[in-house]
Amino acid sequence: MRAEELKGHLDGLLLAALEDGPRHGYAVIEALRQSTGGRLDLPTGTIYPALRRLEQAGLITGSWSVVGGRRRRDYRLTPAGARALSGRRADWRDFAAMVSAALEGGSCPSPA
Amino acid sequence: MPEPSLISTYLAALSAQLPAPVVEELAGGLDETRQRYLDQGLDPDAAASAALAEFGDPDVIIAAFTRLSPARRTARRLLAAGPVVGGCWGLVLAGGRAWTWPVPVAGSVLFGAALLSVIGLLAAAAFGRKYRSVRRAGAAGCLGMSTVDAAMLFAVTLTMPTLIWPVILAAGASAARLTFIARTLRPVLTG
Repeated sequence: MRAEELKGHLDGLLLAALEDGPRHGYAVIEALRQSTGGRLDLPTGTIYPALRRLEQAGLITGSWSVVGGRRRRDYRLTPAGARALSGRRADWRDFAAMVSAALEGGSCPSPA
Repeated sequence: MPEPSLISTYLAALSAQLPAPVVEELAGGLDETRQRYLDQGLDPDAAASAALAEFGDPDVIIAAFTRLSPARRTARRLLAAGPVVGGCWGLVLAGGRAWTWPVPVAGSVLFGAALLSVIGLLAAAAFGRKYRSVRRAGAAGCLGMSTVDAAMLFAVTLTMPTLIWPVILAAGASAARLTFIARTLRPVLTG
């Protein structure tokens, strides 16, 4: 999946990558790579400013830790981030159902 | 294992613009990416090239961090609030028939030039693409705007024996702006 197709969805993907617990930047990238089957095609360096943007928005918090003698910044979801992730999931389900119905000729279920 | 020169050059480009903690985090991620390619059997130079290709253009990363810089956000807020505060002082000056005041022309010109310079600095911080220049312009713009507000408050204290509501409004707006700058100046200088 190309970077421009991800536009608007990256924040949700990053929040989802942190749902199971705190991760540092590279671990977030690895989690995204695994969850997308390696089909995520975007410059991974841009993940770091995206994490910083989510931190500024109060959706995640970052803190430094030392692992193997090297400092790294770990990120974790805030309660606001968890709520935002739930909202994005619900929005995505509605959107995916609508587009699937339109593309495949079915009928779109009414939103809950 | 020594760091390949490709990686050093890349990190030097980031260090030239971004704060040290940001570069430290990026360097850690880049090193782990390179290590993954080494584990896959690539030689050190090929692993470094592959890691850099995966990480992306440093200018893109710098531009993304610049959009998030405290200096940029502060400059944009000050520019947005500028017409409101300026309008309040405009009311004071118009109500007090400022054009009849015995102010030397040179003083008025100097004040106008200073105000325009401050606005220019804030605009450079609000729309610049280089992190360090945005931070420098933002810090200078904040300090300049503080000086302008302090000068206005000082002048009002000296020249206005009675406080009328436009003066209270304008002085309050300038005091609020000074407070905002005092709260945000540290992240602007260090962020």
